[in-house]
Amino acid sequence: MSTTSQKHRDFVGEPMGEKSVTALSGIGEVLGKKLEEQGFDKAYVVLGQFLLLKKDTEMFTDWLKDTIGATSRQAVPCAQCLKEWCDAFL
Amino acid sequence: MQDLERSTVGPKPLHLYVISVTQPSPIVLSKMASMQLTDEELFSELKRLGFTPGPVTENTRPVYLKKLKKLREEQQQRGSRSGKPRSGAVVNSIIGGGNTTGSRPASHDVTQPSSNRRPGRKSSVLGFSSDESDAEIPLKRKGLNHSGRVDRSPAFQQPKPRPITPTVVNKNHHGAGSPLNSNDSSRSPDGHRGVSLVWGARARSSPEAEGRDYDESGDEDDNEQATEKNSRSLNGCGASHSTPSKLAGDYSDSDEEEANLGAEDRRRDRLGGHRSHTKAAFLSQGVGRGPQTGGAAREASPSGSVNMVGRRREEGEEDELRRRDSDPPGGMRSLNFPRKAIYVSLAENHDREADQNNHVDSGDGYSRSGDISRFSIGLRPRFSSYSSLSQPYRSNHSNHSTSNHTYSQAALKQKLSPPEDELLQQFKREEVTSHGSFSAHYLSMFLLIAACLFFLLLGLMYLRMRGSGATEADAVIKSHPFGSDFDSSYDKVKKDVILQLLLSLHDHLAHIAGQHECGELEILNRSLSIDEASAYLQAQNQQFEGLVLESLEWIIRSDQDVGIRLIGQVPDDPVTDINEISRLESTHPNMPFVCRFRRAFLTGISRVFVFLVAVGLVWSVVFYIKYRWRREEEETRQMYDMVERIIGKELDSLSGDKTFSTCLFFSATLRSDLTEVTRTNIKPSLSCDKSTSMPSKVWQGKAFPLDRRNSPPNSLTPCLKIRNMFDPIMEVGENWDLAIQEAILEKCCDNDGIVHIAVDKNSKEGCVYVKCLSAEHSGKAFKALHGSWFDGKLVTVKYLRLDRYHQRFPQAQSCTTPMKASGPHLRAVGSTDGTASRASTSSSSSSSGFS
Repeated sequence: MSTTSQKHRDFVGEPMGEKSVTALSGIGEVLGKKLEEQGFDKAYVVLGQFLLLKKDTEMFTDWLKDTIGATSRQAVPCAQCLKEWCDAFL
Repeated sequence: MQDLERSTVGPKPLHLYVISVTQPSPIVLSKMASMQLTDEELFSELKRLGFTPGPVTENTRPVYLKKLKKLREEQQQRGSRSGKPRSGAVVNSIIGGGNTTGSRPASHDVTQPSSNRRPGRKSSVLGFSSDESDAEIPLKRKGLNHSGRVDRSPAFQQPKPRPITPTVVNKNHHGAGSPLNSNDSSRSPDGHRGVSLVWGARARSSPEAEGRDYDESGDEDDNEQATEKNSRSLNGCGASHSTPSKLAGDYSDSDEEEANLGAEDRRRDRLGGHRSHTKAAFLSQGVGRGPQTGGAAREASPSGSVNMVGRRREEGEEDELRRRDSDPPGGMRSLNFPRKAIYVSLAENHDREADQNNHVDSGDGYSRSGDISRFSIGLRPRFSSYSSLSQPYRSNHSNHSTSNHTYSQAALKQKLSPPEDELLQQFKREEVTSHGSFSAHYLSMFLLIAACLFFLLLGLMYLRMRGSGATEADAVIKSHPFGSDFDSSYDKVKKDVILQLLLSLHDHLAHIAGQHECGELEILNRSLSIDEASAYLQAQNQQFEGLVLESLEWIIRSDQDVGIRLIGQVPDDPVTDINEISRLESTHPNMPFVCRFRRAFLTGISRVFVFLVAVGLVWSVVFYIKYRWRREEEETRQMYDMVERIIGKELDSLSGDKTFSTCLFFSATLRSDLTEVTRTNIKPSLSCDKSTSMPSKVWQGKAFPLDRRNSPPNSLTPCLKIRNMFDPIMEVGENWDLAIQEAILEKCCDNDGIVHIAVDKNSKEGCVYVKCLSAEHSGKAFKALHGSWFDGKLVTVKYLRLDRYHQRFPQAQSCTTPMKASGPHLRAVGSTDGTASRASTSSSSSSSGFS
């Protein structure tokens, strides 16, 4: 049984709709603000970026680290979360 | 664009082992250096390296640039490691950057798994049997099915299972499965491969007509294997991203280590034999000597010893000894030390090597130094395991090591290859730390030994003191217990004589008594008759003769115990007159020292023994009590299990009062206990009414909410197989299968898409097959049925392939009309509508029902 956080489960359980970026697993207040500064104000925009990278979690984590200075501990769950969401809903 | 680039490369060197990829064009490479690639060029570069990037936009550009750099680096390293000749020297000269093009396929390996890393998810393979597979699993890795993968290193394990899956698949006797299973193989990620491999194996073994269902426990095993494989390969590929060189180094380290370990084990066996001897020898010696002697005690072992480590030790010790010749007196050398190595320390390498080098002309068989150093390298990884046998005299060694350190380092370095260096560095750190622990260990041992010695000496001294009594044989007797009268009545000379007489008498008597006590058979009596006493005293000294009686009279007069007891004719009567004295006895027997010691020892041992016996009794009593407790607990637990089983069974059957009464009994006594024992959501209704109205064939609620983990994300086929709906042995009546059909229809009453239901009466698992109008309907039915309690059994649902369903039930092909439940009464008891709030179920916290 994989160990996923509550945030992860909440996000992956339903269509993201208009959720904010802070709803993503691994993205907290600080990182959320940084993302918004970059123009990623909603979770679906980040999803767009993820899809642009062809749903590759590694590339996406790299991108996150480069863009907002996330650590592995933040970027990897985020990528994971998005990937699962895509598996479920795309 | 790619074609253009290919054409511009020109004549390729013949020794370029390339399958489908080309060299980067010189223009691109030059631009790489200055980072002025356009998006298209970046795109094509990445493609050339086997990586299919997404669109290169302003956001993704930096990421892709990094990726490109990484790929190029890896390429270079592949080229250098594989040792393939670097083609494209012309290109390199232009660039000056030295991008190599050797072993292109290897780069494939690097990029593909890295780009397609999928951390062991099995969500997409839920609900599937092995032979009926992925009607709709998104084939994400289609584009990456590159052939010609090279198995580059053991680190990357993905290529290995690949050849297996096609063979496994071909054995599948469901022929229709093969095209889809080949699709399986096309999906290259490890998780799927691992899982499909296992499924393939299981499909092979399953003889049933229908495919293997997805069994929760089985899937968990698969998942474990898959995740295990994934983690392994993940580690491998994750490392490939960051530091491929380090990865290779690590693996070669592990290989080295394993090779060394292989050699190690043989040697360690020999070591083990010697070690016990040496340890014993050391300990026996260590007791009597201090650290200095111990240092000298580390002697050279026999030259013929095969013990590698011991050999190193012995040579070190030989040299130590030689160096110490001057320090301690020759007494050390004269001692006969056992010639065996005593302990292991790898830091000795330095000393030994240095010593060897210093004494190489001594011609003492140092030809072994070469292989010893090799073994030392091999043994270094085992350092930590040997640290327990550490030698305590590191301080002594450090003197030598500092002087010879540089030389030994030089000697060692040429023997070490880079990966061993890394290992060594790791272990050197351990060595350093264990220095302190060595000396601490030595110190504690020393203290312990010193304390033991001290107490031993103290005891011996005490015993000796006790035994000897007042040894004032030659000294003038200054004090006596007779009081001042004695002094006044005699002159000095006489006084002395009398006192000496008494003293000698006392000693004699004590000696006799001691001999008697210690069991020497010649002395029969503890006491001495007065005649014998006087005879003895006269033999001692002539002057005693006349004074015997007087001194005895003084003894009677004195109140204190002078150590001589006077016994009259009748024993135990106090003697008041010297005429009554018949025997003399000593009250302080003077036993020989050994005798005393023995007695003390025996008493001590006996006391300890008694104590131990008492402790043993108490402990046995406690143990027995615990055992009884445990037995009782187990019995109650078994009883609970039995009750559970009985209740499960009893509720089903429709028999009469026996059921009722037992049910009442159990429910009354154990209802609360059962809720403790069973953690999952056990059926809510345990009420035992009359048997006629006992619930049967009803839906009794859901065991767990359906979420991502235990149900497929979307419905896959229109056909369902429902298991555990009934037990064919237990079913009674004529039309129970119809009742089951009704039950299913009622459960899915909101879903009017069920067109065919078939109850397999003969299946042991209680299977029911359902076909729906469409996948959507079947998905709804799945959500309604899966994980519900029906008739006291937990129902599970899985999807079936449509064609297989039609094979089994040809009549179902023509069914298109939705079926409806005929009975008016609802057969679901307290059913929480599983179909409602689908989102909420998935978003609720994961239940522990399955996982």
